[in-house]
Amino acid sequence: MEAKVLTEHYDKDEYRFLDGYKKHGGYQMLEQAFKMQPKDIVEQVKSAGLRGRGGAGFPTGVKWGFLPDNGEPRYLVCNADEGEPGTFKDRLMMERAPHQLIEGMIISAFATGSHKSYIYIRGEYNYPAEVVKQAIDEAYKAGLLGKNILGSGFDHDMDIYLGAGAYICGEETGLLSSLEGKKGQPKLKPPFPAIKGYLGKPTIVNNVETLAAVIYILRDGVEGYRKFGTEKSAGTKLFSVSGNVVKPGNYEVPLGYPLMDLINNECGGLKPGRKLKAVIPGGSSAPVLTAQECLDATMDYECLAQKGSMLGSGAVIVMDDSNCMVDSLSVLMHFYHHESCGQCTPCREGTGWLNKIVHSIAKGEGRLQDIDLILKVAENMKGRTICALSDAAALPAISFVSKFRDEFEFYVREGRSKVKGVSYAEM
Amino acid sequence: MSIVKKPSKTSNWYLPGILSGMGFTFKTMIKNIFNRDKMPTLNYPEQKYNYSSRFKGNHVLTVKKDGSLRCTACMLCATACPADCIKITASEHEDPTVEKYPINYEIDILRCVFCGYCEEACPVDAVRMGPEWQTPGLCGSDFNYDIQHLAYRPSLKGGALSRVDEEERHKSGI
Amino acid sequence: MPKCNINGKEIEVKEGTRLIDAFKEAGEDIAHYCYHPGLSVAGCCRLCMVEIEGNPRLQIACNTTVQDGMSVSNESPAVKDAVKWGLDFHLINHPLDCPICDQAGECELQIQYMKFGKYDSEMAEPKVKKHKVVDLGPKIVLDTERCILCSRCVRFTDEVSKTHELGIFNRGDRSEIGTHENKPLDNNYAINTVDICPVGALTSKDFRFRQRVWYLKNSETICNGCSTGCSVKTYYNEEGLFRVKPVHNEDVNGYWMCDFGRDIYKYANKEVRIQNPELNSEDITIDQAITEFESRLKSIDKSKTAVVVTGQQTVEEYESFLGYLKENSINQVYHWINNPDSFEDFDGLLIRGDKNPNTKGLLEVMDKNGFNKPWSELTSKLESNEIEHIIVVAPENVEMYPDMDEKVQMFSKAKQLTWLGTVKNDNINDLKIPMKSFVEKSGTFVNYEGRRQNFKKVTVIVKNAICLTDMVSYLKNKTLEIDNSPEHYKRKMNYFTQVRGGL
Repeated sequence: MEAKVLTEHYDKDEYRFLDGYKKHGGYQMLEQAFKMQPKDIVEQVKSAGLRGRGGAGFPTGVKWGFLPDNGEPRYLVCNADEGEPGTFKDRLMMERAPHQLIEGMIISAFATGSHKSYIYIRGEYNYPAEVVKQAIDEAYKAGLLGKNILGSGFDHDMDIYLGAGAYICGEETGLLSSLEGKKGQPKLKPPFPAIKGYLGKPTIVNNVETLAAVIYILRDGVEGYRKFGTEKSAGTKLFSVSGNVVKPGNYEVPLGYPLMDLINNECGGLKPGRKLKAVIPGGSSAPVLTAQECLDATMDYECLAQKGSMLGSGAVIVMDDSNCMVDSLSVLMHFYHHESCGQCTPCREGTGWLNKIVHSIAKGEGRLQDIDLILKVAENMKGRTICALSDAAALPAISFVSKFRDEFEFYVREGRSKVKGVSYAEM
Repeated sequence: MSIVKKPSKTSNWYLPGILSGMGFTFKTMIKNIFNRDKMPTLNYPEQKYNYSSRFKGNHVLTVKKDGSLRCTACMLCATACPADCIKITASEHEDPTVEKYPINYEIDILRCVFCGYCEEACPVDAVRMGPEWQTPGLCGSDFNYDIQHLAYRPSLKGGALSRVDEEERHKSGI
Repeated sequence: MPKCNINGKEIEVKEGTRLIDAFKEAGEDIAHYCYHPGLSVAGCCRLCMVEIEGNPRLQIACNTTVQDGMSVSNESPAVKDAVKWGLDFHLINHPLDCPICDQAGECELQIQYMKFGKYDSEMAEPKVKKHKVVDLGPKIVLDTERCILCSRCVRFTDEVSKTHELGIFNRGDRSEIGTHENKPLDNNYAINTVDICPVGALTSKDFRFRQRVWYLKNSETICNGCSTGCSVKTYYNEEGLFRVKPVHNEDVNGYWMCDFGRDIYKYANKEVRIQNPELNSEDITIDQAITEFESRLKSIDKSKTAVVVTGQQTVEEYESFLGYLKENSINQVYHWINNPDSFEDFDGLLIRGDKNPNTKGLLEVMDKNGFNKPWSELTSKLESNEIEHIIVVAPENVEMYPDMDEKVQMFSKAKQLTWLGTVKNDNINDLKIPMKSFVEKSGTFVNYEGRRQNFKKVTVIVKNAICLTDMVSYLKNKTLEIDNSPEHYKRKMNYFTQVRGGL
């Protein structure tokens, strides 16, 4: 069952504009928030159990609580650099309900006491950026941004920053480097951005969906928000389903929703005559699940973690039996090789190495020991770097090779795909 | 205690021994006079013996396909040399793919002990020890072999080609 | 003062010490490339992996501060495997350039492979090709293939020289160090990047291909390039000096030195030095030279003898020489300052306007002996021909004395000129006595802040050279004890190409 909380009014065109948004109850929560104490809002978000929707799933309220009380200016940054292959939920949110994001950001800024916020939008997202820009202009005109918002005495300014199209800028410290005007490279942690972030000042970086969800925590209260989801994964989440399903798209379902239900009910199942082979449940950096593992998988942080994968950004990539896993992995490895920032050696050299090995297998030039070598290289890239890109490349490689080893071995022995019958180079 | 061996009776009969030895010499002489091709010795210096290509004789500096020196002036031969007889002066080459080359490479052949370490130390097959073994000279400086002699002496007929080719190495991704 | 346990050794370190420094303090080996104590932490080579008790993940030692009671180890199989793989990741795309790479022999990749690696690489794919022999500026050449992107050089130009010339361009394994167009790497501290480069990616044009490093010996001394007096290491062999590198000295120069200081070896090498004592362009023995000098001292009236000194000799030499002058009541001693306008300059890091290593020391000794005559007095006396004999204790570092020719002309106005110098000067045609350069003698320099720094003799370059102390002892005792025995090496007698000749 879809549970439309955030996306309730997404089908209405007027929702994109201030008037339409207000008509459907927009900016009411903002007024209510101004009547509350900032720390109460933080407390409420904390007890609602909202977890970051961008990928890591870190509890949002806890993150806000890390801000040091040292009188330094604080920044709020919205991470709309949706680079994870398979994910397209933030785009929908920005295109359909920019004011929802703005309202959520102003509330979050009020809660965290920051007077300046940035929306860091992915370089390729020209249209969403345009929509958000217009919405910000509207909000400024209506006195929802700027000095003394709605007579509350709270000042807040908001700006858009367009990235240059690097995947690594979706990582929060990489994003901050890019925002500072530097090369988009993750920074060493500690110190974390909440202590030393943008321009060395305390900064909170949250995903679009996370910030928007704050409105509904205030609206429905902790109990109302927790009505959906499980104990540890509260609320609803947007899932971007893509791949070999009849109706791909964004679906908002409560966390803990069974994966097979999502595929079969919401997405209309697989194409006729096809069998499910594998599902990547959380964007390309999540380890793949086999059809068998999918049967009892539920879409929440705990269940997927238990199955050795992760919820990530909620990008469900469904693969049926017409997919060759070697070819799929070679596409993924090319992506990570291309997107590695080149800072840490294991990632810089490892992604390149993996890419070369997988491609030589896909060209039909692989050796049998290469299959084990992929595992060894990936194993040694895991958890050895500043950011998680190295893991993001290593985890799918490990899961693809270990779960579909027969396909890789067939490819090496025969020089062609087990599924497609020809090699990648011939296609 | 010392033992004194007195000559035995038979040892006094030395003449038959001498005569049989002389006989053998004479027989061989006759054989050699009439059958000179099968003679085991050479008439040096009119005749010269050609050693196998594996013989560790005089040094040869190999060349590349274009005729320039293969040597990269890494000085590993000079470092390995136990007799300290190799002296190299390196310089920067105009061609960035070559980078480093010797402007001076000298071997003092009189100091050389022909151990072959230089050949083994060379990473690019630039210095070899060839089958030539004569090292004549009239004055001291004749024994300091320079690049001209080591790589381009007439007997090498334009230079020995190195087995290591930079372009092939680049192509194979090394 | 937090206490911690490193590989089973209990040590106590200063508050805020990084784990990697604690390892060094404890005398434990730890692999690393990007960490440099003089720069900020980049944490990108990922080699200084350690296991901290209670932490399931391996941590990098360079970005971890020591906390009280910490128990750290880098000897577990997990850490060793991580380091081994870390090295392999560094080396898979590193070219096999060692034979033509200048760094070979002092390359961190070689050293750390032998220490922590010793594995067979499983890399079977072609290596990434990048640019070779990139000209970064007038002093430095870059080989991007050899570069392991530790970013030390980039951080150096950002944090120490603050000139920001270098950057990392492109990303992933296509990353390359580079400069922006028309902005070459050309600051006064640029060659430090060559020193801190752990591999042979950055090479100094001055030293490039001149020697293999394993043919060089090294010895510490004090830079005589300016009054800062940086601690340096000179690299030399029987052919002479080849390069100068800084030595860590927290009180004076930290980890760095300037590029001018790296040229000081050029004024100590044979080619530029006065080899033998000369009288009117004819070689004489050192005994004859000193006897001639003595007779000049005796025959010419003391009031018509002048002495010119520069701040380039050691305190010990000044004490004996100026003391001798005082004893012999020669009172006209003048201090030659080459650049009075920029004498007090300071660039904020190391370079000082006073280009003499021992001006403070000279002034101290002059004060003690009561010599304080102004330079203008010498000029006017030379103009009016009141000086018959002028003794010049000439500077070694002639580059820093651009007014040399002009001054020599001025000194030549005196009837007799005794030149006690190290470097050849064809304009002088009188008595020349070869002096020892700073690498050939031991002594003390007093730097700009009055710090007395002792240094030891490095090597012998000119056999016939003497120092002022030697000369004074000859003048006093009539015995010449020149200490010319090489301290660090025996001169090899098989220098075949030069020595053989006819049979």
